[in-house]
Amino acid sequence: MYNLRNASIALTRPLSRLKPSSHVTYRPFTSYTSSSLNTVQIYHSTSHNPYLNLSIEHHLLTKSHPDSILLFLYRNAPCVVIGRNQNPWLETNLSALRYGLPSTNNGEVKLVRRRSGGGAVFHDLGNANWSVICPSAAFDRDRHAEMVVRALKRIGVDGVRVNERHDIVQDVKSDGKESTFKVSGSAYKLTRLRSLHHGTCLLDSPNLGRISPLLRSPAEAYIKARGVESVRSPVRNVGTDYDEFVDVVVEEFEDMYGEVEGGCVAVGDDALEIEAVKKGVDELVSSEWIFGQTPQFTFSTQPSDADPRPRPKLPDYLPENLEVSLTVRHGQIRDARMSGLKYGESLDGSSQDQAISKALVGRTLHEVRDWHKALEEASPVSLESGRVGKWLNGLFGVGQI
Amino acid sequence: MASIARCLRAARPAALPTLARSSVSQPFSRLSTIRAFSASTIRPVRKYTKDHEWVDLSADNKTGVIGISEYAAEALGDVVYVELPEKGKTVGAGDAIGAVESVKSAADINAPISCKITDVNFLLEEKPGTINQVPEDDSHGGGWIAKVTVDEQGVKDLEALMDAEEYKTFTAGEDAEH
Repeated sequence: MYNLRNASIALTRPLSRLKPSSHVTYRPFTSYTSSSLNTVQIYHSTSHNPYLNLSIEHHLLTKSHPDSILLFLYRNAPCVVIGRNQNPWLETNLSALRYGLPSTNNGEVKLVRRRSGGGAVFHDLGNANWSVICPSAAFDRDRHAEMVVRALKRIGVDGVRVNERHDIVQDVKSDGKESTFKVSGSAYKLTRLRSLHHGTCLLDSPNLGRISPLLRSPAEAYIKARGVESVRSPVRNVGTDYDEFVDVVVEEFEDMYGEVEGGCVAVGDDALEIEAVKKGVDELVSSEWIFGQTPQFTFSTQPSDADPRPRPKLPDYLPENLEVSLTVRHGQIRDARMSGLKYGESLDGSSQDQAISKALVGRTLHEVRDWHKALEEASPVSLESGRVGKWLNGLFGVGQI
Repeated sequence: MASIARCLRAARPAALPTLARSSVSQPFSRLSTIRAFSASTIRPVRKYTKDHEWVDLSADNKTGVIGISEYAAEALGDVVYVELPEKGKTVGAGDAIGAVESVKSAADINAPISCKITDVNFLLEEKPGTINQVPEDDSHGGGWIAKVTVDEQGVKDLEALMDAEEYKTFTAGEDAEH
């Protein structure tokens, strides 16, 4: 469970475009949001809690007036955010997330599943999130990425453009060679009347060198997943601070849609008083959403018709003939086949294997906190070695490795 | 499906051909167009929503099939995942029953009429591209999304929907706006 108190860190200095948050209570926030009088609105979150910020954003998507256009800006404490239809066991290194970054206070990097599509990204306070909510009839994949490009150019960031994947990239020349780096990624959520385009923008993250290991799964060679796989890109900071970014994005937004009377509305922890936001947070932090929403996948130590990739050689410390195959649907183990486990000489290994396999079916994968324990419990007799369990712990990012 | 129809305009102008053009290039789409125009009393009559879903209601007004239109499928771009409706769920017209993901977008699929989901097309989970190829095919191997049962309200909801001819005019109007 995350700690709201820690997640909400006051801004060190007031942003020039933002109202002080003491002026804001939840009641004006809701009535202001849904009012037909305010067709252009700008919000800024004082919270760094990714679950809360995404829930405020979703609330704005679902509750704002159908004709209104909204800009929402926020930052998140270190977290990895996966797309709606992605697989956390395949897209992230769950152990590394738990272990965290050396620069973060409480260590852990949160795992978040957003409601929009797309791939996995890393956020920290050096990354700005911007989102634009507009009527679906006016939706366009590039319009607001272009807005951010103009904003970046305004503060002297050169070589930025929107690429064919609707991301913002920066072309950088060094030693006569030109390289392209991604600085901002986009994702979308389309509903009947309202559409959301949100994007990241790497400003001055101190963690760029540490992102890659967080987004590499130790189980990648064994997992074949339905759903969406991330596309890896080299990334780079644009080299500005958050306050400056907010200022220029707000300016570009107002250039497009007109000046917003009263400027930005600050929202934060007080938004939890809104029932729908609270419910949204409860859903986003639940394992049913983070893990259970995962599209069906198979984990297999052997090549199969569905996943013919050659597999890496198993570590020497594992039983020679070990084979593990799991089919997992919405987090639940639907089919399990284990063979080659070692039980002691006199026992009929294959019937023990079958008993273990049968006992694993129906278990929820993300609730298996220690595979050694899970195999012991599933096995009618004692296992000879705990190493298979430890190996699986490493691949699924749980328990003792 | 909201107005996903509009969203690829900047990036993929080629992704927005007219219905007529796509039915020439794709043999399957011609089949579904014929079905939609059929005046037979035994064949179901296909109706479309402004959100680009279609529904076929059986002759006895008891059951139906739901999918997304060819126009929407074309505009969506490559569908990479289909989140299927929940079997057994009862929904009202316009309620989100599932979602499709394409080009980083999660787009809601809405129920065209009030109905109860009785069956879902698991093929789409395995082969989401089927939605791009044969979105209006309600047979085995087609891109239909759900089978439903319908009560009086569902039959009433149907009145507000467009037939194939009206839908064609509607989508032509959407294109012209841009």
